[in-house]
Amino acid sequence: MSSGKKGTTPVQPRRDVLASLRMASMEDISRASLPAEIMTSILDYLDPVDLIRVARSSKLLHEMAYDDTRWVQLLKRIGCWNEADARKHIEASYGTIANPHLGDDEIMPGQASGTIPSILIEGAPDSGVQQKLSDGFDKIDLVNTSLPSGSGDTEEDDPDLTILSTAKSIRGEARHQYGRIHGALAPFYNDIAQKGPSMDRLVFTRYKDPQSRAQMLSQLAAFARSDLTDGCEDRIDRLQRTVALFETAALEEFRNAYEAEDIGGNMRKYAHVLWTLNGGQAAVDAFVRHNHLMARRSELGTVADCIDASGKIKLQHTQAFFTRLSVAFNEEIAVLNQAFPLKLDVASPFLEKVGQDVLYPFLTAIFDELHRSNMESYLTAVSVTFVQCLNLSESLLPIRSSGEERELSFDPVVIKIFEPHIDLYLAEELDFFRKGCEAAIDDWDRQLSEQAASAESFLMSNINRQADKRDFLTSFKKVIMMPVNILPGFSGNKAASGGPSANAETNGAAETAAKSSNRFSTIASPVTPTLEEAPTTELAAKAAIMKTKMEGIKSLFSIEIALNLVHSAKSSLERAAQFVRLGGEYEQAAKRQCEAIFVALLRLLGYRHVIVGFDKAVDHLSNYRPREQDERDSSGVEPLVTFLELVNVGDLILQMVDVFYEQELIATRLTDRQDFLDPAVKEKKKFEQMLDERVAAGLNKGIDVLMEEVDYILATRQLATDFNPGVSADPHRQTMDVGVSQAAAAVVDVVSSHTQMLVGSTDKSTLDVFNQEVGLRLFTALCKHLKRQRISTEGSLKLISDMNHYFKFIQTLRNNELLVYFKAFRELAQIYLIDPSDAKELATIIADADRFYGIWRVEEVSEFAERRVDWYQVKGDVERAMYGAGCRVM
Amino acid sequence: MSSQITLTSSDGVDISVDRTVAERSILIKNMLEDLGDSGEAIPIPNVNEAVLKKVIEWCEHHKNDPVTATDDDDNRRKTTDIDEWDQKFMQVDQEMLFEIILAANYLDIKALLDVGCKTVANMIKGKSPEEIRKTFNIQNDFTPEEEDQIRRENEWAEE
Repeated sequence: MSSGKKGTTPVQPRRDVLASLRMASMEDISRASLPAEIMTSILDYLDPVDLIRVARSSKLLHEMAYDDTRWVQLLKRIGCWNEADARKHIEASYGTIANPHLGDDEIMPGQASGTIPSILIEGAPDSGVQQKLSDGFDKIDLVNTSLPSGSGDTEEDDPDLTILSTAKSIRGEARHQYGRIHGALAPFYNDIAQKGPSMDRLVFTRYKDPQSRAQMLSQLAAFARSDLTDGCEDRIDRLQRTVALFETAALEEFRNAYEAEDIGGNMRKYAHVLWTLNGGQAAVDAFVRHNHLMARRSELGTVADCIDASGKIKLQHTQAFFTRLSVAFNEEIAVLNQAFPLKLDVASPFLEKVGQDVLYPFLTAIFDELHRSNMESYLTAVSVTFVQCLNLSESLLPIRSSGEERELSFDPVVIKIFEPHIDLYLAEELDFFRKGCEAAIDDWDRQLSEQAASAESFLMSNINRQADKRDFLTSFKKVIMMPVNILPGFSGNKAASGGPSANAETNGAAETAAKSSNRFSTIASPVTPTLEEAPTTELAAKAAIMKTKMEGIKSLFSIEIALNLVHSAKSSLERAAQFVRLGGEYEQAAKRQCEAIFVALLRLLGYRHVIVGFDKAVDHLSNYRPREQDERDSSGVEPLVTFLELVNVGDLILQMVDVFYEQELIATRLTDRQDFLDPAVKEKKKFEQMLDERVAAGLNKGIDVLMEEVDYILATRQLATDFNPGVSADPHRQTMDVGVSQAAAAVVDVVSSHTQMLVGSTDKSTLDVFNQEVGLRLFTALCKHLKRQRISTEGSLKLISDMNHYFKFIQTLRNNELLVYFKAFRELAQIYLIDPSDAKELATIIADADRFYGIWRVEEVSEFAERRVDWYQVKGDVERAMYGAGCRVM
Repeated sequence: MSSQITLTSSDGVDISVDRTVAERSILIKNMLEDLGDSGEAIPIPNVNEAVLKKVIEWCEHHKNDPVTATDDDDNRRKTTDIDEWDQKFMQVDQEMLFEIILAANYLDIKALLDVGCKTVANMIKGKSPEEIRKTFNIQNDFTPEEEDQIRRENEWAEE
């Protein structure tokens, strides 16, 4: 290279790349020499030590070798160059482009290093020599990395140990920073690289403390990344073997400490050593693999313990298993919190391991066993252990972690454990529910047919059951709304705090749950009321009361069955709903299954039970011939009463389903009320609709039957003397009897008792239609009846009171339209009261269509008037008065 | 593609070579792509016959190498490993070595240039500044103070 030219080269501004290129033009060299860019790439292949020797050979090479980017590259490889810091530093020294407040060419000492004390080592002889050599010869801040002087000179304070973490990212100073690192680490590195792995290496003889050794080895590993020259693979391999040697030894210590339960001491120490060395993964693995929990897992409980002889799951035992597990687990977490560095995530792999090696085999064994032997047990076990798993995760001690709160999630582990079981479980749940219900209904049907042979009679006590029903519903609601308590007894503490009413009801719920476990067998004797044993729960008591009162409709369908079905649906739903918590795909599946259970409930309850009952009742009604029945009592038309009772119960069941739907599906957000395409919603609508249809059909039949009964009463009970006392042979009869006739009273009794029964059990519009129909038919029947009577002036008083009686009854129906008819009746009765002498008055009344609200035409009123006893006496007068007057007008 | 092309060295010697071999040189490759194969000899004015032959020899040996187009200096691991054949190939006198490097640079044969640079780097390895100056025919243009200054700055590099 041209040395002659070099000598005269004026001082160049720093970092002028073009200048160095210009200097590299070497036209006047005779010998082959290399252009600058080639020299630069040659220098790329040199290691730092050679690079410095090159720098000392000439100014040009000095400049090339000192090029900062070269050294920045090295620092980057080691991993201690921070671009952001470098930029910050530049901005602090020179200002930003936008705000160049510090246009100074020099790096401000102190600003670079922040709070760490820094000393300037070569600032003092700031002579002209340095000015001349400003190319690459910046003033350099050497940061004093030693810790405060008070800390003495133990190994931990050796600045070499922290050389990498204290390295600065300052542009223009990269070479210097590298120099420090090289100076500190190269002796150890070369020692290992030349002599191979052994415990006699300098790094081990210099540092005795394992922590320091680990620190240094980890720095060397980083440093080795900058070694790229010939034979580096070999050197790095040696270093790695040395690290492995040390790691093995440290791991051995770590395990020994764990076995010896020296947690706070050696275990903690070596956990940190390993963490410093290479992130501590080895320690985590060792801890997880050789954990005491795994070794002792057989002590937690065995599968055989948890299943009793009859193949039933013993939940107390599984709970005990989980309790023991959580205790053991918490012990390990305590160890882990104490021993491991904060940033190291030991808990997650540990948790996963526990889930995989302890929980999974245990639960799978139980599930498989139960699935073979006892389906109901299986269903309970899956759901309960799932909840127990979740409870377990809540009972775990918090895991210490640094900075941000690390949410230790047990869920993925739980999902992993239950994943293979969920689908099968959900399918089985639905299947089990369906089969159970069908069996219950079939059983009931069978018993009914047996029973039907022996006892045919319906005993009905016609009392208003509104109050009872309301009472029953409230208690049903209470039971439904009680907190989910599928872990009776042992998880009670949790559930008890859940709801306000829980304390009072927990006991009841537990027993309900217990009862529901054999619910499909309690219906074995529906003939004899189960009242001998005192009902244990409020609900059961109410059900029993209802049952005795509704004896009459027992043959059609049973509220108890319905209740039981709803109960079993509830328990199935609750079991399945647990899995909604898993979220994602399984949440969807669980929700779908819950809806399916609800739909199945409606279908079974509806089609198989309620609707069949209704159909039977309607059949019965239409076959009913009152006149063919010899024995009658005054209370009413029995099939109709039965039917109305049935409507009541049907309504009750509907409301029950509604409450169930609200509480179980809506309140728990299993389904969306707004979603009209939702199968559950659709099915519910269908069910309601079906019930309404049956009710309407039944009522139609019912009205026919009722009217037949009315006709029958009127025909048989209305005495001829009622309205015409004059013909009576009874000498003691009282004249002017203004009481209600026996027949009228009976009719009103019959009709009103039937209409009363419907109040509150069917919807308003159905009820109105029913009432209207009943009223109209009653009206027609009365008209017909009236036309068959002979009425004297004296008897008309009785008639008027009869009419008033009907009217009063109709008033209670609150139907204005209907009321008009009966008002007309009242008016009509007056035509019998008029004395024969006032024929003219009579004629006026008959002709006055307005008086009868346009219900009868004049001719029709005349027909009624003809029923007067004295009609033939007054006929002439009346007709004259009517038509005569009429002629006059005409 | 096994057609032959002719290269003319700076001292006027025509050398016939496979086109695929010649295309190891990006310069020649681009030229052929731009001008088409006219059948005329391609002049290589900066490279003499001896060096050109040497370069062609290298290209022949490496004609099947995959083209490493990754110039990413940041990611490329700069080791100074040289494969055995290349080491033997580079056992030439220093002038020839430099000529080869210059030729590779001119002809744009990245791999050959790298090998050359590595060889030179290996020559520098372990040499004192004085020996380096001798090798590269460089004059010491430092004053003694300056030299001392650099040494003091880089005490870490002293073995």
